Amino acid sequence: MSVLIKVAQWFADPAHWSGPDGIPQRLFEHIQISAESVAIGALIALPIGIALGHYGRFGTLAINISNVGRALPSFGVLVIAFQVLGLGNLPILVALVALAIPPMVTNSYVGLREVDADVKEAARGMGYRELAQLVRVELPLAVPLLMAGIRTSAVQVVATATLAALIAGGGLGRYVIDGFAQQDYTKLFAGAVLVAVLATATELSLSGAERILIPRGIRLLKAPVARRATTFKTA
Amino acid sequence: MSSRGPFQGIGKATGGKEKSSMNMKSGSGRFLAALAALVFVATACGSSSNGGTSSPASKGTLTVAGFNFPESSILAEIYGQSLAHDGYTINYKLLLGTREVVAPALESGQIDLYPGYAATDLEFYNKGAGEANGDPVATTAKLNSRLQPLGLTALTASGAVDQNAFAVTKATQTKYSLTSLSDLAAIGGQLTLGAGPECPTRPFCLPGLKKTYNITFKAFKPLDTDGPLTRAAFKNGSIDVGLVFSSDGDLNSLGLVVLKDDKQLENADNVVPILRQAAASAEVSRVLNAIDAKLTTADLVTMNSQVSILHQDADAVATAWLQQHNYYN
Amino acid sequence: MPSGAFLDYVDPWVNWTWLSTHIPLFVAALQQHLTLTAIAILGGLALSLPLGIAAHRWSALRNPVLAFFGVVYTIPSLALFALLVPYTGLGVLTAEIGLIGYTVQILVRNLLVGLESVSPEVLDAADGMGYRPLARLLRVELPLALPAMFAGIRIATVTTIGLVTITALIGLGGLGQLINRGLIENFHTPLVVATVLSIALALVADLTLVVVQRIAIPWSRGSAA
Repeated sequence: MSVLIKVAQWFADPAHWSGPDGIPQRLFEHIQISAESVAIGALIALPIGIALGHYGRFGTLAINISNVGRALPSFGVLVIAFQVLGLGNLPILVALVALAIPPMVTNSYVGLREVDADVKEAARGMGYRELAQLVRVELPLAVPLLMAGIRTSAVQVVATATLAALIAGGGLGRYVIDGFAQQDYTKLFAGAVLVAVLATATELSLSGAERILIPRGIRLLKAPVARRATTFKTA
Repeated sequence: MSSRGPFQGIGKATGGKEKSSMNMKSGSGRFLAALAALVFVATACGSSSNGGTSSPASKGTLTVAGFNFPESSILAEIYGQSLAHDGYTINYKLLLGTREVVAPALESGQIDLYPGYAATDLEFYNKGAGEANGDPVATTAKLNSRLQPLGLTALTASGAVDQNAFAVTKATQTKYSLTSLSDLAAIGGQLTLGAGPECPTRPFCLPGLKKTYNITFKAFKPLDTDGPLTRAAFKNGSIDVGLVFSSDGDLNSLGLVVLKDDKQLENADNVVPILRQAAASAEVSRVLNAIDAKLTTADLVTMNSQVSILHQDADAVATAWLQQHNYYN
Repeated sequence: MPSGAFLDYVDPWVNWTWLSTHIPLFVAALQQHLTLTAIAILGGLALSLPLGIAAHRWSALRNPVLAFFGVVYTIPSLALFALLVPYTGLGVLTAEIGLIGYTVQILVRNLLVGLESVSPEVLDAADGMGYRPLARLLRVELPLALPAMFAGIRIATVTTIGLVTITALIGLGGLGQLINRGLIENFHTPLVVATVLSIALALVADLTLVVVQRIAIPWSRGSAA
């Protein structure tokens, strides 16, 4: 189809690989803002979810917070962030962090809750104190769900960062927004492809990270399951 | 052990253990369900009452669209309300998008009418051939010659004009002693231009600045079409020159100065209704031309201020204008 | 030139006066929002049921179906809508093609999980009782898959309500129209109220579905978030 040929030509054009609107620059901006948002979100969400899960408190809140997170309209959140914080990367960061937190809270809570009570009891019996038990027993066992939460957040943030272009943000969303405004459908298509590829790459690389972090015994126990972290879509 | 399955096991995992905390206390659950029912009923009632607004036989239905800036909403409302007063049923699609989005919608018949600007529309439909000049009548005639083959038509241009204009902050003006766009040619490489994302492909924007004034900017920042993003960028210094509209009402209060277009890059951007030929009956033309004869640039400036600064509604401002001009007698 | 009085106006986050005189605007937006969501969910169900059943029955289909809709899911929604515009215009059809593409991904996955979670013993028992394949599907497997389906419908509904706001950029939007207006006119009230309403709508819809699920399949109280 001629559309695909034009898109291939767009990618082949060296002019699109350099300069402030070039693919490397936009890709870097996109990855940077996404990574920062997920990292900051994780710094906030994981301690909360892990603590709640470990002590078994506020379960309803922890579980339903991902529902609320899914209900947030990312368009609205971004524009409100702009009107509160002005132009620049800060409002985008704040909005994306807000969207990144809920899945990580819920998943880390559930991950900690899921740890078999017998295992925890055995650890206590072996003399582990509270913090050691948490760090050396519960967290490693919770890795699958923890990573699932981080993965969900990351993929969602990568997709939503596309909308940041609506409040003068950079990143791959610029190809989408500018392409639409200029009726340059080749650029628009290319932007869509780039975001889709980046989202998939994010998910695959975090799956790979999970495989490394998961304790060997657990990995051998579980049958491989195709787990796609895509139940979150806000953009 | 139940299998985790592809949806992270949140559901299965929490289901068994968190049963008690998942259940809403029955009282609040019922209340919320009742609330939901109320929303749905209210919506259903609303929709059924909307359906029954048939008045004396309507002369036809027209869809009026506007661009993604407030002045276009105002103009679309003025056109729409005047036609509605004349007996047509009007649907509005305001803040639809840039011309690149609206024009195809007109060509394909999804909308019937939008308030255009003679010179910019001409250069859009002739793909930047450079035919527009400062004479609204000549420009509109050329515009029509471009529109006819597409099944579209432009009516009589108004005296009200809204052109692209390039502004700087007072501080920038003082720093570089700027009065006109020609002054930018020498220092363009130190300045950042901010405008809507369509600017790099618009003859009266980036390409025109290069061609007519030989200005090459250091950088271009895609923001919005004369909207809050552009104004915020002025405020935080991320742009030096920004695209605004000559009929904006808030430039003074924001400390922005428009640079003079001494080489006449911008042309006769008079307000002119652009319609599908099928919708441009004698009656519709009569109504719209009468409106455009009365519309002035000063009107645009005032109405823009009312909407952009005071947040009055475009439709209220349009109604006020129509009443002021005794339209409803 | 406008007088200095304009400079004194400060825009509150919610202008209650303006809000009270503009209720019909929000009601109309809610209606459009609900309509777009309902079409997306119903359309998604209509597509995902046969697709899911087929993918379950013929396992060769399973991965291609999941992969195809999985790829669709990674395309940012604004890009998907915008790419469809030259073909299907600025209207409900464009929005729904995109929205249904997303809901099918969620619903098919959940349907497959539900069908696959039916334990082999139950299937054996059904076969032993003389159920033929179609009857077994309709009267044993699908009902047992309902909890997972409902979970999917809930997720799809909440997700769709959020995504509908983005269709404001192709001329629709429901509550997104008011968000767009708030952005373009630098006007806080429609933006804030529409965003809050969108969240409330999603939560109310979710709760409604929980209630419906309790009524429809009371045995599933313990399963699926």
